[in-house]
Amino acid sequence: MPAPALSVTDLALSSGGRQLVHPLTFAVAAGERVALLGASGSGKSLTAAALTGSLPEGIAARGTITFGAGSGKGKAALIRQDPSTALNPLVPIGRQLGIPLRSAGYSRAAAKAEAARLLERAGIEEPGRILPRYTGQLSGGQLQRACIAHALACGAPVLVADEPTTALDAVTQHTVLETLRTWGTEGRSLLFITHDLAAAGSLCTRALVMEAGRIVEQAPMAELLRNPQHPYTRRMVQAASRSVAPLAAANEVATTAASSADSSTEGAAPRSAPATAVAA
Amino acid sequence: MPGGTAFVKVTVSRVLALVALVALIGMMPWLSGRGAEYTILRARYSDREPTPEALAAVRAELGLEQGPLPLFVSWIRGVFAGDLGTSWISNTPVAPGIASALSISVTLMAFALAAAAIIALLLCTPAVRDGLRQRRRPASGALSAALTSLPEFLLAAMLLVAGAVWLQWFPPFGWKGPEYAVLPALSLGIPAGGLIGLLMSDAIRAGFAEQWVGTWRMSGAGPVRLSAAVLRRALPAVLPQIGLVLIGLTGGAVAVEKVYAIPGLGRALLGAASAQDIPTLQAGMLALMGLALLVGTLTTAARYLLIGPAVRFGTLPLAEPPRPGNRRQLALPAAAGITLLLVVGAGLLRDPFTSDHARIAAPGWSLPFGADASGRDLLARVGHGAVGTLGTALVVVLACLAVGIVVGLFPLAAAGPLEVANAAPPILAGLVVAALSGPSAHGAAVAVAAVSWAPLAAHTAALAQEARAQPYVQILPVLGVGRARIMFRYVLPAVAWPLLRHAMLRLPGVALALAALGFLGLGPQQPSPEWGLILAEGIGYVERAPWAVLAPASALVLASVVAVGLAGAGHPARFFARNSAGAVPPPGTNVAPEHVQAPAGVR
Amino acid sequence: MTGTLAADGVSFAYPAPRFSRGGVHGPRRIGTLHNISLHLAPGTSTALVGSSGSGKSTLVRILLALAKPSAGAVALGVREVKPGPARSLRWYRQAVQYIPQNPAGSLDPRMTVAQLLGEPLRQLRVAGNHRALVAEALERIEVPAGLMERRSGELSGGQNQRVAIARALAVQPAYLLADEPVSGLDLPLRDTVLSLLSSLVREEGLGLLLVTHDLGTAARMSGTTAVLAHGRIVEHGPTHRVLDSPGSPEAAALVQASAALHFPPAVPAGAAP
Repeated sequence: MPAPALSVTDLALSSGGRQLVHPLTFAVAAGERVALLGASGSGKSLTAAALTGSLPEGIAARGTITFGAGSGKGKAALIRQDPSTALNPLVPIGRQLGIPLRSAGYSRAAAKAEAARLLERAGIEEPGRILPRYTGQLSGGQLQRACIAHALACGAPVLVADEPTTALDAVTQHTVLETLRTWGTEGRSLLFITHDLAAAGSLCTRALVMEAGRIVEQAPMAELLRNPQHPYTRRMVQAASRSVAPLAAANEVATTAASSADSSTEGAAPRSAPATAVAA
Repeated sequence: MPGGTAFVKVTVSRVLALVALVALIGMMPWLSGRGAEYTILRARYSDREPTPEALAAVRAELGLEQGPLPLFVSWIRGVFAGDLGTSWISNTPVAPGIASALSISVTLMAFALAAAAIIALLLCTPAVRDGLRQRRRPASGALSAALTSLPEFLLAAMLLVAGAVWLQWFPPFGWKGPEYAVLPALSLGIPAGGLIGLLMSDAIRAGFAEQWVGTWRMSGAGPVRLSAAVLRRALPAVLPQIGLVLIGLTGGAVAVEKVYAIPGLGRALLGAASAQDIPTLQAGMLALMGLALLVGTLTTAARYLLIGPAVRFGTLPLAEPPRPGNRRQLALPAAAGITLLLVVGAGLLRDPFTSDHARIAAPGWSLPFGADASGRDLLARVGHGAVGTLGTALVVVLACLAVGIVVGLFPLAAAGPLEVANAAPPILAGLVVAALSGPSAHGAAVAVAAVSWAPLAAHTAALAQEARAQPYVQILPVLGVGRARIMFRYVLPAVAWPLLRHAMLRLPGVALALAALGFLGLGPQQPSPEWGLILAEGIGYVERAPWAVLAPASALVLASVVAVGLAGAGHPARFFARNSAGAVPPPGTNVAPEHVQAPAGVR
Repeated sequence: MTGTLAADGVSFAYPAPRFSRGGVHGPRRIGTLHNISLHLAPGTSTALVGSSGSGKSTLVRILLALAKPSAGAVALGVREVKPGPARSLRWYRQAVQYIPQNPAGSLDPRMTVAQLLGEPLRQLRVAGNHRALVAEALERIEVPAGLMERRSGELSGGQNQRVAIARALAVQPAYLLADEPVSGLDLPLRDTVLSLLSSLVREEGLGLLLVTHDLGTAARMSGTTAVLAHGRIVEHGPTHRVLDSPGSPEAAALVQASAALHFPPAVPAGAAP
């Protein structure tokens, strides 16, 4: 097994003597997409903050976090639920994407072309029109994708995405999830933090479930969905499957459309939505 | 609320406020009423008796018979024709004197600005350094707060004692060369620079705390580039406040020019106000208004330039920097407050009026603070002065609270008056009131109240806006709750408590403003034991009896420390309201991290 | 007997160009509506689906008589409804109630549960014993009566949610407009709230308008779905038909997104040990 892109050993977070996150140990392999699931208040966002060095004031962290052995500027990029402050509001998107590219040795013109290419890879159509814009002119979904493009420009090996889709509507959620999926190609790793099991299930290969500051379950995603062990996971899976049963018919239509986007759905969990729960 | 009508309302309100201000200046001769005639009669024709005929002749000569409107029209015509009128006292044209005084004042302010810039720069350096090293410290405070806490008149008096009398490095009075500008420039520049430095370093810390800084760091942006970007982000947020600080210099200049006997505009105005030479005062006020407009326009232009095209899309407000919540920062103000209480308590038991001590008797066991030039007990005068000054301040603050709440509930229509009141230094208001009705304790209180309601109104507006935006208020119409009930049952209770707290925090600051007016002779007159007045009396004897200055000055310093400490404790109170748009989050809205027992449904 | 709640030919446009003065409004003008017609009947559930910025919130504000349409009208039965003073709208407020997005946030933290539920009863001059009505409303949504004197800060998230719903139900409305009532909730709680709402429609004859961006929720809750895009209703009909054969690109995009986001997800292939 190759060296993990991100490994966390005994990470514990506390505030004024109160233990918020109990010692955690986990690793994300290169090219892996891992979901960190949990209800709000379970400590998952704090964990994300610790991974990207943006812990709020007054929170003490212990333990070690290491990023991909050998990779030069190995550091995690972070995208959050609210992307509006992730980029400088006074500088056009293109110029901000240019900063890492220029310091990587691109000429001015080449950096611009590369920035456009990265935006396109992050799923933005007509990147030429986005480059001269300011954050105030972009929608939430566009901003999330611009942030992903920025992470690409920095060459970050790991992306930590903290509830990146929660504030978005369904269509935009879908496009952002698609962009995150493409992130995982070419050996980059993703840690996707969410309370939305459906989104995590469609994106990630492995899942960690957190409750009350502890990891209570760890399993491959398909396994977790088929056979949840911990009571909280079980509740979550049940609720998720119940909320959608009537859509089963629509799934057929949708998958034909979706399969063009992601054709590799081998190993998918069986589509056996228990269609009995609500019907009455 | 639709943006269009709001913009129109604010603009109309601003224009009206400006017109009202010009009209007020133009009608000052009429407003000054009967009192002026006697003054003029005595000044110009000391041989004549004040008979009704003589007074009528004076009235006719001054054109006071015409009534307010013609008086205003002829004045404004003159202004446009370059004729600022004729002095009532010397009967010579006003314009040349005002022009030369203005040039001296502007030179002084340039020196003061240089001093302020150096101090502000020094205070900002740690913020930038911390930001680059990714250290998140609470907004700095002690040093810059100490610098800001001293009102100009007090600092001028202290620097005079230290720099000119004891050290004898600089000349004490006059305006003959650059060395004469050092102490006055420092007196003006230290508080202004301290305040600007405080505002800027807070904004810089807030800028460095923003998330995009992390993004840029990942990009490999160097320290210079990062600092420049943060400065560009931080500066627009504080530029309006910096503009107000600069405008405030004009008020401070009056006191400083008086202390150092500099023939500038401030001293000219002070002389005109005490002699009720209204035309000179009118011309001076007009010049100051022009100066204020210029500063306001320049800072606004600079702000738009810095923000660039992004201004059209509405930039996000800069978050408040992290504030210290610890007790350590309250220790000093608390100690100052207790000392002040002890002094006042001891002073109240003694007699402040009878002269039963030797003139300027030195301090001793029976006379802890010494005696003043009339042989009165200084401890008693300081103690009784506290009651008078603070008592008046309490009345002023309560009046401001009432006005502020009423105005704050209609923030758009009040935008213009609010900005004017916010920018006008209390000393200038004091000059106008004293010129119109003669110097008195009431006049000083009215003058300070006239310009002190603005922060409370702006705070009310921000709080009410926040309360109205709460989901639990937004839903009320659907539940059948009418407008009046929403206002009185839901919005007012939500804003009342923080406002009362804010008003009380302003008490020492208002007391200092009153003392400044007393110091300039625009407030209560002899033999009232008023702090500013005691200081002004003592300053003439500073070489022989430094205690005559030290006693009132130390009481004022203690009050200043309490003022800044309190303002820092309830942080928005400190110049929060100087931002009339209410973009700064009101108190108690520190964003709670998700784990800290956020109330359900916050996310 | 209350008639249908109907919006007929409703349009909405902002009266003047908006100055974006330190504001939140970008150059795109969101929230306009063009010729919307929508009819609700008691005992039925209709879903109003659309992306953010499609005009859903504006339509809800117009249906609640909080905003005035620039053309068209809203009527309950034969009586037209317009924004106006609280007194003149009491009859309408009693008939049409609302659950906002983030219902728990809509509870004044200074008031007890009893006061919160009593306020609309008192303000709308509802006849009957208010205390009994409050107790009944709480019982209906399974909140223990012992919580009456608590404040919202002392209740759990789920309890707050129920209290907000109970407040809307206390005046015994014929219609309930629910604006994304579950989008901020964790999954298990989401399920409970939706079950509660659908039982109210089935058993108590409530007319429900469920506003959501999620077709999955629409499919579960409503027989009829209207899809709103760019201020127009681009699709309106039985929910299964909208899901099976979306007739507009906007609806198709919503269906695809909802399917991809819902359960059971197509788990991607990957490094399964």
